[in-house]
Amino acid sequence: MTRHLTERELIEYQFELASATAAQRLAEHLADCPQCSEQLERLKRKYAALELLREEVDVPESLISRVIEQAGQAPERRVVSYRRSAWIGAAAAVLLMGSLLLISNLSRIPKAGHDLRSKQNGRTGGMNLVDTGPAVVKAVPGQPEKTVGKSGAKVAVAGATVSWQPIAEKPPFAPASAIELVVLPKRENVQLTIYNSAFRSFPSPKLPPANVQQQPVGYGGYGGRYGNAPVATQTGPLKTAVSDLTLVREKRHLTLKRGWNWLQFAWANTLIDPTSLQLEPLQQKDKISIEQLVFPSRLRELGRWLIRSEVSGQVPFEITYFTTGVTWRAFYMGTLARNEKTMRLQGYVRLTNNSGEDYKKAQTRLIVGRVHILDEVAQLAQRQYPYDAPAGYGLNANEPLTRLGLGGYGGSAYGGGGYGGAWGPTDGDILFSRPKEVMKEGLSEYFLYTIEGTETIPNQWSKRLQSFEVDDINVTSLYKYDQQRFGRQTIRYLSFANDKDHNLGDTPMPDGSVKIYARADSNGLLSYVGAATIKYIPVGEEIELNLGAARLVGVEPTLMNFETDNYVFDDDKNISGWDEIRTWKIEITNTRPLPVDIEIMRGFDTNYWSVQADVDYSRYDVTHIRFKLTVQPRTKRTFNYTVTTYQGVRQEQINQ
Amino acid sequence: MEDTDKSLVEAHCRGDRKAFAELVRRHGASVLGYLTKISGSRDSAEDLFQETFIRVHEKAHTLRGKNFRPWLFRVATNTAMDGLRRRQRLKMVSLNETLDSEGGEQAELTCAVGTDGCEPCQDAVMSEHRGKVRRAIDLLPKRQRATLVLAYYQQLTYREVAQVLGCSLGTVKIQMYRALHTLAARLPEIGGDLQ
Repeated sequence: MTRHLTERELIEYQFELASATAAQRLAEHLADCPQCSEQLERLKRKYAALELLREEVDVPESLISRVIEQAGQAPERRVVSYRRSAWIGAAAAVLLMGSLLLISNLSRIPKAGHDLRSKQNGRTGGMNLVDTGPAVVKAVPGQPEKTVGKSGAKVAVAGATVSWQPIAEKPPFAPASAIELVVLPKRENVQLTIYNSAFRSFPSPKLPPANVQQQPVGYGGYGGRYGNAPVATQTGPLKTAVSDLTLVREKRHLTLKRGWNWLQFAWANTLIDPTSLQLEPLQQKDKISIEQLVFPSRLRELGRWLIRSEVSGQVPFEITYFTTGVTWRAFYMGTLARNEKTMRLQGYVRLTNNSGEDYKKAQTRLIVGRVHILDEVAQLAQRQYPYDAPAGYGLNANEPLTRLGLGGYGGSAYGGGGYGGAWGPTDGDILFSRPKEVMKEGLSEYFLYTIEGTETIPNQWSKRLQSFEVDDINVTSLYKYDQQRFGRQTIRYLSFANDKDHNLGDTPMPDGSVKIYARADSNGLLSYVGAATIKYIPVGEEIELNLGAARLVGVEPTLMNFETDNYVFDDDKNISGWDEIRTWKIEITNTRPLPVDIEIMRGFDTNYWSVQADVDYSRYDVTHIRFKLTVQPRTKRTFNYTVTTYQGVRQEQINQ
Repeated sequence: MEDTDKSLVEAHCRGDRKAFAELVRRHGASVLGYLTKISGSRDSAEDLFQETFIRVHEKAHTLRGKNFRPWLFRVATNTAMDGLRRRQRLKMVSLNETLDSEGGEQAELTCAVGTDGCEPCQDAVMSEHRGKVRRAIDLLPKRQRATLVLAYYQQLTYREVAQVLGCSLGTVKIQMYRALHTLAARLPEIGGDLQ
């Protein structure tokens, strides 16, 4: 070889990439060529850096154990080859067999006797109805809990005894798994009492930890009516500036067996506070006792009540709990008459359900007024098992967790808020040709709004209801100019009072937003005037709405003259006091077709002043005066005033 | 050795759990080293390591007399490639990233400084060189990186590498040459005393 080796050849030689003959040839050349040998050495030095990464890797014993353990759990999968036609045939056979089994099972459903399946509400897979006779009471064979639709709160009952024998002294162990628990009793009716109207975003319902963002969830009683609705996927931060709280009372008919019974309640994907769960029999109270509520370890968002019953059969129960995410807020729409002297006010209530649970045909009641809550129910609902006190709770550890500081509860756990009230009429009782009425009644310092009939509020939905509509409310429009507060803008205010003189005053007005419109023409078209938010307005209190800047009414103050006078000198001939005299011209422009009342506030930087003005004014405070004027439509009005402020010893002289 | 591997695989297929454990212990270090270099992160490598041996556990019956070691590396390679593809899709950012890369070097450097009997400066320079080599290898295309790691670090023959990667011997050599050619420009010069 007459030429030197290329870098490629050297690499191929060094890393044995060349064929045997080529390698032989290259070796011979290198033996004779010191220059190429040197190049090869240089190359070796270069690639020696690779050796830096040649290191002994230690496999941690924990990793090996994990692998072996996982491998032990992993099912051995074998690929089974199959012919397509055979596979289709097998599938058809399975379908056929399934159909036959289904038909035979249906034909075996008993029509009468001691062991009856409840057909109430059209649910064949519902509760097992067991009569109370002396015959043997059969438990429904353990069938897997069927979740239809949303996996919201659901209950299931498991019977522990099957024969008419004395009840065992000791309660049984909790069912090992949900497989032992049977059916989902339908929620008969539900009542929501919503506290604390809220202008805020809601915490996201708890989502399953997996990367599943949507899954069908629901509770059995609804038969999948809302089964396809997705769970909320919002994952934003908690914003609980205002706590919302809803007391849910739901009535369900549970089938008990004589002896010990387990009732399972699951609240996955909801915002229910588990520590607030209460269960009460509505009948046979002397024969049924609720022994305990346990939260099984390793099972999340699930609680089981142990019930001792001396009777068998269906018993109505009431389950109560607190949840969050169901909120309401009030808002109002005011429509000014053409002369803007009167207004029609419509009040609305919007219910929003972000609790993760559907509430069908719920009697809904709203508490007007801010209820003080020590705990954030959203936090309580999102605690992990075991459900200990939330961080910063700050109370005695032995304090029951469900103690919520409900100011107007009247002493009892759920009292005050109409807890003992009768269930309201159903949707069917309400004539839908008219809007539902929102009934109002006083409740200590709070107020209770009860929505007529029942409402179905699916999760992630909101519903608007009219609260009241009042015509001919006398209103006062006032424009205000205050440079220190509003800059150079004129602000429009609209005021009225929540009293009988203004055709209001029946109930307090909940806090909410108010939008004001004006009639633009005789056809009833509206023009937007402005919006404001109001706080809770008790009966008899005046409301002043700040509707924002008024562009058609302007105020222009101009300084026309400035001079100083009345100098006072001290013994050293230095100035020790003087007067400053300013003359202002105020020009008010009203381009509206209506006369406007305007209030102009002027301030001084000293307490020692005197004013001479063309128009009347009043002293507002020690440094401010206020002019009140009426400006006719589409006119300008001008007035002047002169203010003298006293400086230095002149202030003392004025006071004397 | 290979016979023993075969017998272990056969024993595992018969349901002997100890045999599988022995296989993991025997080849774990080389597989983990390989996966660490392929994935560029120890955490990812450990995940891939588990996945690899789970696959080995499940698919051992398909070995059918083939050499275990190349087959094992083939499984590891496929697992790693899948993992890398997934990672590219997901754009995951490791919380331990600093520890894995620069931070890791820093940690090594800190250790070196504190070690008695070593020249701290020398160790620091070595640590820096190591980081450069790691980055140079990480920058290689996946196939070239796999070829280099298998052939150079795992010391598989080129024929075995071809089996692992499922390509021809010529392709392996070309990949290897390209990897080395690229590295020639990227590898740091190491002084004689440091070598």
